[in-house]
Amino acid sequence: MHTISWTWFWYLLAGFLLGGSLVYVWQTFQKMSIKFIWYEWVLTILGILIFVFMFQTFIASLEEGQTRAAWMSLIFFGIPVILIVVGVTRSIQARLVKSK
Amino acid sequence: MKKNVPRKQHYHSSVSRRDFMKMIGLGGLATLSGRLLESPFKDLDEMMTSPAATRNLPFWVKEVDEPTVQIDWEKMEIFPGFMGTLFNPQSWPEGEWAKIQASNIQSTIENVKNKAPGYTLRDHALGDAQCWGWAITDVATNWTGPDVQPVPVWEHPTMFYTPADFGVPRYEGSPEENSRMLRVAGRILGAADMGFVKLNEKTKKLLYGNVVFEDVEQGYENKDKGLSVLPNKDLWVICAVIPQALNTFPDRMSWANSNTAAYSRASIYSNRMNVFLRGLGYQHYGSGTGSVGRAVGFGVMSGMAEYGRPGIMVSPQFGTNFRTVLLNVTDLPLAETKPIDAGITNFCRTCKKCSELCPSGAISTADEPAWATWPDGAQPWQAKGLKGWYLEAKKCYAYMLGGEPDCSRCQAVCPFSKFDQAVMHDLVRASIKSTPVLNGIIRKMDDVFGYGAQTGIDLWNTNPDDIPLFGLDTSRS
Repeated sequence: MHTISWTWFWYLLAGFLLGGSLVYVWQTFQKMSIKFIWYEWVLTILGILIFVFMFQTFIASLEEGQTRAAWMSLIFFGIPVILIVVGVTRSIQARLVKSK
Repeated sequence: MKKNVPRKQHYHSSVSRRDFMKMIGLGGLATLSGRLLESPFKDLDEMMTSPAATRNLPFWVKEVDEPTVQIDWEKMEIFPGFMGTLFNPQSWPEGEWAKIQASNIQSTIENVKNKAPGYTLRDHALGDAQCWGWAITDVATNWTGPDVQPVPVWEHPTMFYTPADFGVPRYEGSPEENSRMLRVAGRILGAADMGFVKLNEKTKKLLYGNVVFEDVEQGYENKDKGLSVLPNKDLWVICAVIPQALNTFPDRMSWANSNTAAYSRASIYSNRMNVFLRGLGYQHYGSGTGSVGRAVGFGVMSGMAEYGRPGIMVSPQFGTNFRTVLLNVTDLPLAETKPIDAGITNFCRTCKKCSELCPSGAISTADEPAWATWPDGAQPWQAKGLKGWYLEAKKCYAYMLGGEPDCSRCQAVCPFSKFDQAVMHDLVRASIKSTPVLNGIIRKMDDVFGYGAQTGIDLWNTNPDDIPLFGLDTSRS
């Protein structure tokens, strides 16, 4: 008799968190009348793809029993995600400051 | 060459789900969830002394002192066994068993003749194939396949019938249809993947030297001369990938589970495939892993794998996580499968992980593959005619059989031997084929990510529910 696998739960949870975060950020930007420039769109989409890839690799590696691979995936794919978030945020901030 | 590299011990699922939940800040939720579920135990001691500590029941299943069917142990009698059942013809009034049996045979023949859904010749042949190992069968392997015969006293009186027994012609299909049929049957019988090689003047050289051809209708075994005879006619080699467990794979555990289990399954598969072909009305030869020819040669020619640095096959789907490509010979016309290029042999040029970690130093560290250079008459225990990396076989076997029994490290550390849950593995494989310039980086990342460093699971402390049935995980099988 197999124990229940919770892998689906983590992917569902990640989907809710990511989806909710994107909706929140989108609404906030709408309220503040912030618009993305094309390269910010590109970087944001790239960042989301890398984040999803990182999350899948992390959970799947744990399921595979590859603990080291799981943590290394957070480092190798998490750093680009952080850099993209920081880069896009600073780009928007700089534009806002300039417009004021 | 690194020898006896210290290797960290990792266990499958070393991060428990509870720990993981705590990691992401859901520990409170987990605790709350646990309390919401009714626990049958008052404390930890009670839980650990319960059989449930080693048998994980779903939360809705409770252990009880008495079974849910009432039993009166005072009235309970000892049953005489099989002879007391209706499977014994003697249990029936005279003539009744024979009448039922005759009816069974008649209706089965009619169903086969009428191609009734689920009762066609090939359905019956597949069912018979599965009977090998259960019904009265000789476990000994023969060149011409298992010598199975119908057993008229049994409750399946048409078991092991041939088309001639049914009074129908043998199964006929196009080579493509036949190949597809074998792939379907192969999955049921134990083949993870299949390829087909037609025997011609080139590929006949991949057969073992004791396999000879004669102008006969039916092949046979000449035990006096040690010859396995094939008829001079169109023949195909069915090449089947026999997977082995990856979770109990590395190092010595290979013998305890992966290695031996795969060989046994290979033998079972081979015999069952022969019974299947017999049931379709076709010839079938070979059994077990050492009877037909070179597994690597046919594996490569059939496109099941590419040739790898240690002289073994590396598959794009299974990596080195399979024990053999099992070979059966048949006259059932099949659509040939071609060799493949997934960039694997090219990757072996750069990688060298197996040669670096081989404790015996038997695997070549040369950058480029080369033709065999030993003089005529020398016995390197390998065949010439391949531009590859030749294994120093004596070093390997002396270590494997005499030093560290059952070493399989070259297979365990191969970057292609992976579970199939992380999407990353497929992207890496695609990169190896499409962007070989990254191969050096991929090899380094394989090390950084810790792949190949495992020593296998701590089997005897593993939750039995987490062990796949037959020990064969589903990864890429």
